[in-house]
Amino acid sequence: MTNARILVVDDEPQIRRVMRATLVARGYMVSTARNGEEALEKVREERFDLVLLDINMPGIGGMETCRIIRSQSDIPIVILSIRNAEKEKVEALDAGADDYVTKPFSMPELLARIRAALRRAPLLSSGTPDVLNLGQTVINFVARRVTVNGTEVRLTPKEFDLLRYFASNPDVAIPHTKLLQAVWGPDYGEEVEYLRVFINQLRKKIEPDPSHPEYLLTEPWVGYRFSLPKA
Amino acid sequence: MKSLLPQPVKVVRILGALGIVGGITFFYYRIFSVNNVTVALSFLLAVLAIATRWGVIEALAASVAGVLCFNFFFLPPIGTLTIADPQNWVALSAFVVTALIASHLSASVKKQALESTHRQHEMERLYTLSRNLLLLQVHGPMAQEITNLIARVFELPGLAFYDRTSDRIHRAGPHDIPVDAGKLRDTAVQGTVFHDAATNTTLIPISLGGQAMGSLGIQGSQVSETALHAIANLTAITLERAHAQDAATRAEAARQSEELKSTMLDALAHEFKTPLTPIKAAVTSMLSDGDMSATHQELLRIVDEETDRLNSMLTEAIQMSRIEAGQLQLRRSPQPLSTIVQAQLDKLGEGLEGRKVTVEVPEKLPRVSVDPELTGIVIWQLLNNALRYTPPGSPLILRASAGETEVIVSIEDCGPGISEPEQRKVFDKFYRGKDQRERIPGTGMGLTIAREIVRAHHGRIWVESEPGKGARFSFSVPRAPRESLL
Repeated sequence: MTNARILVVDDEPQIRRVMRATLVARGYMVSTARNGEEALEKVREERFDLVLLDINMPGIGGMETCRIIRSQSDIPIVILSIRNAEKEKVEALDAGADDYVTKPFSMPELLARIRAALRRAPLLSSGTPDVLNLGQTVINFVARRVTVNGTEVRLTPKEFDLLRYFASNPDVAIPHTKLLQAVWGPDYGEEVEYLRVFINQLRKKIEPDPSHPEYLLTEPWVGYRFSLPKA
Repeated sequence: MKSLLPQPVKVVRILGALGIVGGITFFYYRIFSVNNVTVALSFLLAVLAIATRWGVIEALAASVAGVLCFNFFFLPPIGTLTIADPQNWVALSAFVVTALIASHLSASVKKQALESTHRQHEMERLYTLSRNLLLLQVHGPMAQEITNLIARVFELPGLAFYDRTSDRIHRAGPHDIPVDAGKLRDTAVQGTVFHDAATNTTLIPISLGGQAMGSLGIQGSQVSETALHAIANLTAITLERAHAQDAATRAEAARQSEELKSTMLDALAHEFKTPLTPIKAAVTSMLSDGDMSATHQELLRIVDEETDRLNSMLTEAIQMSRIEAGQLQLRRSPQPLSTIVQAQLDKLGEGLEGRKVTVEVPEKLPRVSVDPELTGIVIWQLLNNALRYTPPGSPLILRASAGETEVIVSIEDCGPGISEPEQRKVFDKFYRGKDQRERIPGTGMGLTIAREIVRAHHGRIWVESEPGKGARFSFSVPRAPRESLL
């Protein structure tokens, strides 16, 4: 998706410069913000397809900015951070980020991640129903809507894609790598912590009792399994 | 305790006793005539009263005077000092015995009362001393304050305190105690009490748990030996408390300084990474365009590689500072070792420069209970170390084998090997191989980081090598419990 509009949020002017130059050359439309507050303002005023968000910024900081954007919108967010400890990655994903890239990064890698974040998972195979009724939870794959007990719950695009992939492959154990590559893209496979965070979020949103999941089950040593209720 | 009554008081009392005897004699001889038994009883009562009230000397004086007066004025033949009737000898003996027994009993009761009052005072003073010692501010000149405190509380004329730690003598009290430093030192070292009768000074050692801490020299004899020992013990405890606090303060200061260093290193490393980010982004962006001459591409690749090198050095500095600040928190879980190894080999990628890396990890190797991220760093550091210090193209072998409770991973190279003295130093911080430190870039932190991570897992790390025959770095990590699941 070229022509996609990307918001680059970083307090370092040189990083904003190099990102703007590179992304514009690749056909993206780029807007920049110097801090979290400015980013929130821009997200409110304009429509973006993706946000590249630095974590360590003065003011409200990247993590909080991520949380606020996520509470208002489904826009894909890719975090850029100097810290590469797993703890920080998990925190960022928990805050609603779709991906986490460690600085300094190579541009081809970042571009691949941007493409992955912008990409929507391919349409359903013909065998999957348009609407999946799990009892209390109803998933409408066409309208990309989920309701629990009649109340709509918001899923981020990645969460929705993950759920859709599960729904089209029910009752089989899916390995971590396969899930990552199907939902994030072929460059992924080692980011098991991504799955942990996203499955937790999905459980919170669609499971009647998230600590005792009925649908999204962990398959020890392997990955996860989507269990359809027995009719 | 000796009676310290001045002589004039005693003389006055003896005269008083004689006066009383004279008074009784005058009363019965001139004013009121009674039989001799009554007179004798009156003398006896007087002697008893004098003995109880004043003491043995006064009572004896009264006895003798009483016997003489009784004999002279009341016993026949009156007007002479001869005793005709043997019964009168009995009366005289009764007088003397009564005087002696009564005065002795009275004196011992008085003495006991005096002693118990004295003990009570001592106890009160010891209590005051211990409370004041507890309240002493541990910082500052403790020894002198302790000395002043003891002298003040016990109202000592002179006190000397020898502090063995500082080898100094502190003095207090109105008089300068006549004791020299040598004697105080000897008392401290020998640990025995020493009393000098000539100067009336007592030297007592101060020790705690068999360790000599100093000695006290006290002038005067108003403090009992029990109290002296108590003072010495209290002083020892106070000194020990001060020393412990002092050591704790120093350790805390050292820890804070270490922490500050680590924090600064961490902040600095992060600051350096910030400008590296646009450099790396720009250079990789240009390289991916591919639209340039071979020379330009080569030059850009150099910039890219050096950026990576700088970045990995900074990463090491950050890891090191975390380890030193004690922030290494393990997130352990049962992990398949092969996945961790593969991830590190993938990460090295081009760094392998076409080298053959043989991985011999048995398929049925039990899982290990480790922090996968940190264990990955250990393997990466060992691989990276082998790559750096062995000739290009030489093969590497990565092996893993399971023991009863642990899994051992080893990385073997075909490089120049490491001499025995160097083997002991390779894991030390900032140590770099003697022959390589000029030729091969590195921070000297990689193997230290690996060692600290392995230690945090309660594992071992070691190197075996023979010069000219390559080196083998190995480390062990605990096996995961059999029944555990992800």
